[in-house]
Amino acid sequence: MLILECPCCGVKAEETELHGGGEAHIKRETVGSDDDAFEQYLFTRANPRGVHLERWRHANGCGKWFHAARDTTTLEVFGTYSAQTYEPPKAIIDAIKAKRPDWSLKDWQGAT
Amino acid sequence: MKRYSAFAIAREAARFHSGWERAWRSPEPKKKYKAIVIGAGGHGLATAYYLGKNHGIKDVAVIEKGWLGGGNTGRNTTIIRSNYLQDPSAAIYEKSRSLYETMSQDLNYNVMFSPRGVLMLAQTHHEVRGYQRTAHANALQGVKTEFIGPQRVKEICPIMNIEGPRYPVLGGLFQARGGTARHDAVAWGYARACSDMGMDIIQQCEVTAIKREGGEVKGISTTKGEIACDKLCIVVAGNSGHLADLAGFRLPLESVALQALVSEPIKPCMDIVVMANTVHGYMSQSDKGEMVIGGGTDGYNNYTQRGSFQHIEETVRALIETFPMLSRLKMLRQWGGIVDVTGDRSPILSKTPLGNCFINCGWGTGGFKAIPGSGWAMAELVAKGHSPLTAEFGLDRFKEGRFIDESVAAGVAH
Amino acid sequence: MSNAVSALQGATSDGIAKVTEVGLRGMIILRGDLTSAKLKKAAKAATGVAFPDVRECHCDGDKGLAWMSPDELLVMVPYADVVDATARIAKALAADHALAVNVSDARAVFSIEGAGAREVLAKLAPVDLSRKAFTKGMFRRTRLAQAPVAFWARDEDAFDLMCFRSEAKYVFDLLTISAKAGSQVGFL
Repeated sequence: MLILECPCCGVKAEETELHGGGEAHIKRETVGSDDDAFEQYLFTRANPRGVHLERWRHANGCGKWFHAARDTTTLEVFGTYSAQTYEPPKAIIDAIKAKRPDWSLKDWQGAT
Repeated sequence: MKRYSAFAIAREAARFHSGWERAWRSPEPKKKYKAIVIGAGGHGLATAYYLGKNHGIKDVAVIEKGWLGGGNTGRNTTIIRSNYLQDPSAAIYEKSRSLYETMSQDLNYNVMFSPRGVLMLAQTHHEVRGYQRTAHANALQGVKTEFIGPQRVKEICPIMNIEGPRYPVLGGLFQARGGTARHDAVAWGYARACSDMGMDIIQQCEVTAIKREGGEVKGISTTKGEIACDKLCIVVAGNSGHLADLAGFRLPLESVALQALVSEPIKPCMDIVVMANTVHGYMSQSDKGEMVIGGGTDGYNNYTQRGSFQHIEETVRALIETFPMLSRLKMLRQWGGIVDVTGDRSPILSKTPLGNCFINCGWGTGGFKAIPGSGWAMAELVAKGHSPLTAEFGLDRFKEGRFIDESVAAGVAH
Repeated sequence: MSNAVSALQGATSDGIAKVTEVGLRGMIILRGDLTSAKLKKAAKAATGVAFPDVRECHCDGDKGLAWMSPDELLVMVPYADVVDATARIAKALAADHALAVNVSDARAVFSIEGAGAREVLAKLAPVDLSRKAFTKGMFRRTRLAQAPVAFWARDEDAFDLMCFRSEAKYVFDLLTISAKAGSQVGFL
């Protein structure tokens, strides 16, 4: 069972209190963007076997959105962080790199 | 290959079963093949089989990281049906269903295809209208289905409570020639037939790199060495994103766990497959007597092939109103498989940005029923460069907005 | 004026804990900046209890303040006073980015009391209800089986729980079944 600590209310919530919101830090395309950009935004997703950055909502709880860094093969959680950011804070990146020294944010952004 | 037959059983019985040969060979890989299929699940093996049988391409290797049929082929709920709304889906799934009818004879391998009938319950008025529409569409597509009323549902499946307080059964979409098959046997039957055609099935061999040159695929690196090929076909379900990464392109899909569970074995009580999409559960009874129950997907990316506690509760709770007898059953075991779900919930059978590299993925939660049709269509695409069955399932549809929008492979009941 | 009644009109059940629908209670959802002194003052003026910290609920009879989320506070007052109390808070915060809404009739409130109260809730919600982890004055939004609820510890073995009024019967039945005599797990 997946357990994430909600950074908004501090509850260590198990997955039935939470709702997964998919890949984090997606760049939103809008008027003026071309078809390729819209395809990327709407459909193309990072689907890594390993470290993943995601959006979550504490749906059966305080109701707030937040971010989580997690490994999709081990379900290990590296940390959760605020939803009000374009990329993970240094503490999260350090926590990931402590366990996965080869991981880089750049690779993840380009990862499939 | 020695044929399986009643005569063969009698002959072997007379000599203490000492003459059976292995169903397929386990050779070391050659330096080069005309075509390599990555993934020895149902879809990969079927692709290889029809490459040989329909197109005469027999210099083929099927590469498998684990063991043959050990992924979703061995983890699904074995349902076969073709009652889809959109024409491209109905075409490929009906092709598939019809191939299942003769598969045991074609492969000389008993896949235990059981056309016991598949019933999709309508438990809201929206579903009634939706399934009536599907029944009409199926009539135009040449797929035999019918919309039936609640009394007929009760006759077909007497253990069902059609008068539940929350979701009474208002009718159902019934496909009498849908059913189930023995999932492992489908993989084993194709593997045996492929091996017999001289194809090499190489298990416990993980692909570590895909070699490219001038925008074309040249071969693969594996844990058993380098293998060159003219054409490459990636058929790896949940791991499609990872293999696409190795091939240098991205896919519009995400991998999630889909779970199922079985009850303790009980006496025969239900001789059809029932799917209840509103409450989110589907069930059939296996030949061993276990009630085979399918649930939903986990709502997040996941590569762990495991079950989780809350899915037992959710799925069984969903079914108990409609099947009260389940409340007295013990659940025996649960498991999960990794399904690859696309943006429009329909599969991808397509060329890729890499020359001579093809991909068959995105079957999501609905792949088992499609195995023979998918293999048939994919083999044609790989051999000829086009196939009428795959034409609408290209990767380009996401950019062009030509979705096949009917939740073929949604994270819902299948 | 219509005669307001609560969802289950005081239904009760007894087992390892006593479950009671406590009747009408005034409830105001107050959204705004919970760090603002003005908001704190308005909330305290309406209830007379101390302002709660994260995941806390301070109660005094029918009155209380509960921390719902980083920008949301639940203000509880006697049902008869709720309309006036809402107006007073709205007036006090008129110049601020804040919103006070009377949601009393959208809610049902239960009390769960007795030696087995913690077990009754622990069987239904994914929350650590051990005496050490869930202490008096703590507040928690979560789910009870399929229903979203919030509960708080009024005392060691006494909890109040609120849910949507439309789900009152479902929640009452859940609590009653969970409190059935002889159903102690004995784990807490």
